Amino acid sequence: MNENLFNISSNPHFRSRLTTGSVMGNVIISLLPATAFGIYKFGIHAFLVIALSILACELSELLFNVIAKKPNTLTDGSAAVTGLLLALSLSPSVPLYIPVIGGIFAILVVKCFFGGLGKNFMNPALAARCFLLISFGTQMTSFAVDGVSSATPLAAAAAGETVNVAAIYLGFSNSVIGGSALALLIGGLYLWVTDGISLRIPVSTIAAFTLFMALFGGHGFDPSYLLLQICAGGILMGAFFMATDPVTSPVLAKTQIFYGIIIGLLAGLFRVKGASADSVSYSIIIANMLVPFLDKIRIHKPLGYYNGEYKEKKFPTQAINLLVITLAAGLALSGVYALTKTKIEDQQLAANAASYQEVLPEAASFTASDEAKAAIEELAGAAYNEASFGKTYVNAAVTGMDEADAVVGYVMSVTSADAFDGTLTVSVGIDTEGTVTAIAFTELNETAGMGMNADKPEFKEQFNGRKADEFILDKGGNASAENEINSVTGASRTSGAVVNAVNTALAFYRDHIA
Amino acid sequence: MNIKTFKGGIHPEECKEMSLGTPVERYLPQGDLIFPLNQHIGKPARPVVAVGDKVLAGQLIAEADGFISANIVSSCSGTVKAIEPRNTAAGPRVQCIVIENDGEYTLAEGVGQEKSPQELSNNEIIAAVKNAGVVGMGGAGFPTNVKLMPKDAEAIDYIIANGCECEPYITCDDRLMQEENRAIIEGMKLLLRLFPNAKGVIAIEDNKPEAIKAMEAMCIGESQLYVQPVMTKYPQGGERNLISVVTGRDIKAGQLPAEVGTIVCNVASLYAIYQAACKNTPLMERFFTVTGDAVKNPRTLIVKLGTQTQELLDACGGVKEGCTIRKALFGGPMMGTPLTGLDVPVCKNNNALTLLAVDPVEEAEKQMTACIRCGRCANVCPVHLVPQMLADAAERGDYKKWEALYGMDCFQCGTCTWVCPAKRPLMQMFKQTKAVVMAMKRAQAAK
Repeated sequence: MNENLFNISSNPHFRSRLTTGSVMGNVIISLLPATAFGIYKFGIHAFLVIALSILACELSELLFNVIAKKPNTLTDGSAAVTGLLLALSLSPSVPLYIPVIGGIFAILVVKCFFGGLGKNFMNPALAARCFLLISFGTQMTSFAVDGVSSATPLAAAAAGETVNVAAIYLGFSNSVIGGSALALLIGGLYLWVTDGISLRIPVSTIAAFTLFMALFGGHGFDPSYLLLQICAGGILMGAFFMATDPVTSPVLAKTQIFYGIIIGLLAGLFRVKGASADSVSYSIIIANMLVPFLDKIRIHKPLGYYNGEYKEKKFPTQAINLLVITLAAGLALSGVYALTKTKIEDQQLAANAASYQEVLPEAASFTASDEAKAAIEELAGAAYNEASFGKTYVNAAVTGMDEADAVVGYVMSVTSADAFDGTLTVSVGIDTEGTVTAIAFTELNETAGMGMNADKPEFKEQFNGRKADEFILDKGGNASAENEINSVTGASRTSGAVVNAVNTALAFYRDHIA
Repeated sequence: MNIKTFKGGIHPEECKEMSLGTPVERYLPQGDLIFPLNQHIGKPARPVVAVGDKVLAGQLIAEADGFISANIVSSCSGTVKAIEPRNTAAGPRVQCIVIENDGEYTLAEGVGQEKSPQELSNNEIIAAVKNAGVVGMGGAGFPTNVKLMPKDAEAIDYIIANGCECEPYITCDDRLMQEENRAIIEGMKLLLRLFPNAKGVIAIEDNKPEAIKAMEAMCIGESQLYVQPVMTKYPQGGERNLISVVTGRDIKAGQLPAEVGTIVCNVASLYAIYQAACKNTPLMERFFTVTGDAVKNPRTLIVKLGTQTQELLDACGGVKEGCTIRKALFGGPMMGTPLTGLDVPVCKNNNALTLLAVDPVEEAEKQMTACIRCGRCANVCPVHLVPQMLADAAERGDYKKWEALYGMDCFQCGTCTWVCPAKRPLMQMFKQTKAVVMAMKRAQAAK
């Protein structure tokens, strides 16, 4: 090129300072309050989750570009945004492999395989979050602060507990890393003020969601209930940062409002009818997939077509059709959840009944006594004597009777949440003397070859015919006393959870039955 | 102030202050003057002089050839040196009359003779405009006398003087309105005589308070005339948007302003109309801004038409130390035409020479990414198109979709391209696609 020649190109010869990189950088700045608060509150582990998530995103994009012989696209900053958003939507107690897997899935599968920046049809961070929710449900939905896990505010509220909305608003509650409503609002407003997003999507989403919850949430227009629903459960992060992702939201102003309404309604529907942890994620993902159809709705003509003859009627009908289809699909999904929920419960009951028979073979029938029912109801889902037995929950207590209707013993179904891989549930049979007849697992999802060995006779039959106030786990394998139980080799945590569950059953027996 | 505006548009850096510091002076060129025969929309003019002829300043050297064409007048006295193809802004080989300047600027007989506006009949005004070779001086170059003869003169109820100057860098109209405010208003009054039912509106962006003040001073006591301040944003001076803002009437692409009872004239054209009718002075010179970050002393000059741009650069102190010109433009950076060299002459419809040391296009190409569908282009489009979707259709060569999305209504203002964070060459794509669709239509019509 001759340096003395002038450049020749078509006009305009002037460009704004905006670049894709600056747009993405602005999103990252807007997420800093939530990020900083998350790290401040949840500590070094949260920082590691964030760092690993971003790193996984960046590296997978780099790797893909190298392998696919594409130009380097890291400078556009979109991979970092995806990584940060993903990390902020994770529980602070997730194992460190979760953000890595999520980041790789988000970038490689959702973004790169579909053509890279601007071509992905779902928000990569959200798609990865949904993928993780399905594949690693337990890790994704357990929230532990300082090693103590407890229910999220929404779950607690659903269970009837009172929750402190102000604490949630400020972020001092159980939540995902980026769960401080205040920090998210600050970030969202910053993004709006700096022209990073318009308020069309967030406002329409939150408005539609609030209206839905007020109408169908079961608490009417109770402000504290609505405020809780808005501040907790990710609706703010979803509305301000996920739904507004330009790539997967509609281009035109009016369709953006409509898109926000769809998200808000679906999120409400899923929260009322489905599981609360993922209502926002799934509603945005579904709305993402509607965007190609939404973009087809022509809603305005250019300057000069308004005089006289022009009247646009297309938008409302097409939009209403889409809305009806979406809501019908949403209802169908919730319906499936409700249906399968009772099916699953039925199956669970059948499995329980079978296990009752297994641990108390002498009994011909089982009934739940009113006292036991009342005692369980009184617990209201709270852990039973957490100080002694950790997080154990009594699910059911039944009385076993022989054919002559004489009481032969009792069965307690107890769940422990302290197992290696989430929860395990065990049915414990106790005869009228207080001696353990046998135990059987109705839920055991431990590591194969290790924790799963708890179901082997060598371990579980140790309880048979023993009578003790409280069993003690011997990790060394030298159990000798009546109340000592040998641990499963290499699975002391699982074994401990089992022992705690049996102890809970014994305690419940003493407290409420004997 | 009742400031009006339209929906959409952008506000790029104005960059106007750099050429505002120095007073306006007349520059008299030393070298040859070059007069391209097609300085206007329509058929090129036909030369009426031959090589070797002596000409005087203000003398006709080429006459309008047909209805849509314009006269060309020499701006200096001297000898016709050649009639040959030369490099111009419109192309590298355009037929030009080259006049060797004798430096005397001797006026032809009768030039400068004052006439009272009251003495002139309507036909005389139009004839004077035609003889003077006045064309649209804002950039289009449409022969003004043709514009002044719409089918139904009674139906015209708005005459809009376009003093918006929304293009960054350029300040010549601003200066013209401050220094020749009386002449512009006199020009407007001549038009109001042609269109008795019309109101005269002078539209000026609110970043030119001095010009607004100067023009408002001339409107005091006038019932048919007023100044309309408009918001500073690009493309406020675009004809369709300006009409929409001032009259509330919208026109489609391809419609003429006269169809909605409007005539739009650049303020420089009004000044030229006044000069032609009342001073018997044909279009020989114009206000012209030499600016850009590569120019040492950017300023606005009164320039003889036909002057070569290199001379103007030298008159402004030459290239700034430490700079090289990466891009030379006639006009501003939004709508300007790139020049291949500085040997090209100033024509009637050129308002500025912008010399850039950094070419923003070159920089933008390095930062180009895929479209992130942010929709900023749709927010700023002054005619309410959706460039994002248009670009998609254009890239796929889906011309049917392109037309269904009203692609032919794009008037290539470049706002979408300016705002695009992904630095997509949107307008360039649209320009190309529009040309392809038009060619396809012509081919179909020919069948």
